[in-house]
Amino acid sequence: MHRELVLLLLLAFPAYGHQMIPSHPVLKQSHVSGILKTELELFNKRKDVEYYELGVFDADWNPIPFVSAYRVAHVRYLGHLKFDVYIRKDDADRATYVCSQSKLRGDSTGTLLASRICSKLHH
Amino acid sequence: MKETKFEKFAFAVSATAVTIGAALFLYALFLIIAKPAQAAEIPIEGTVQSQCLINTDKPGVYGSPNAYTLSTAPADGGVIPIVRYDVTLADAYTARITYPTDFSSSPSLSDSVTWTGSVAVDQVSSVDMADYQTDSTTYDQTREYVLTATGATWFAVSSTAAYGGGSNKAFPGGTYRAVVVAECIAN
Repeated sequence: MHRELVLLLLLAFPAYGHQMIPSHPVLKQSHVSGILKTELELFNKRKDVEYYELGVFDADWNPIPFVSAYRVAHVRYLGHLKFDVYIRKDDADRATYVCSQSKLRGDSTGTLLASRICSKLHH
Repeated sequence: MKETKFEKFAFAVSATAVTIGAALFLYALFLIIAKPAQAAEIPIEGTVQSQCLINTDKPGVYGSPNAYTLSTAPADGGVIPIVRYDVTLADAYTARITYPTDFSSSPSLSDSVTWTGSVAVDQVSSVDMADYQTDSTTYDQTREYVLTATGATWFAVSSTAAYGGGSNKAFPGGTYRAVVVAECIAN
């Protein structure tokens, strides 16, 4: 009964979602010495969002320098985006979170939702 | 008229040839029919792994019960935004939800705005989530929930903005937008 209710609720409201995997990415040696890399994937199920800002942070949420093909990634509705994040070996111990945050459009209406998903780097 | 031995032999040969021909025809037909079925084999791959999905199930709307208040409360004509978290692995994520303390866009405001709000569990998909609200922690405008069970959890985020710093000044006419921040942090 409870499951039917949940399914009914899922169908009743059009849901717009944001997802990033894996939850615990692993840093590996890249093709450049002294630089580590990890691969993540974004999935955009939000019709109201097309851009996601990427960031790397330490345990206290201080930003860590990183390189990626995208600082702000364009992901169409229902689109997947695989991307690599490169971090210096010297920063690897401090780097804790890789995050993606939705960028809202100026013409959106009402109370808006900024979604942010952070994967925790596996050391 | 009686059949000669040669005629019997010829009949037997032609009957065998017809049978073999029919068998070959059926085999060829089978190959023709079977081939598209082989071509239609398209692999579908899937990986199940721990993940968190943040969904906007219901975008909020500010109602205006009076000239100096904007509120998402249904009694004030508003709509409370509902955020849904789907997680596939227990104890892998923490949900952090922050109600607004500023307008992301609004007409020019010359006076201060007083913000209040709250975050609460609205619905759960599992009885294991029953204690989410009591176990949650709060600081500033943020409430934090450790997602200890798999499944979907719905959170309701209320927000109220009062203009005039207590002197009940009327909001200037225009469109007001504010942002709820929903975060899913891997533990």
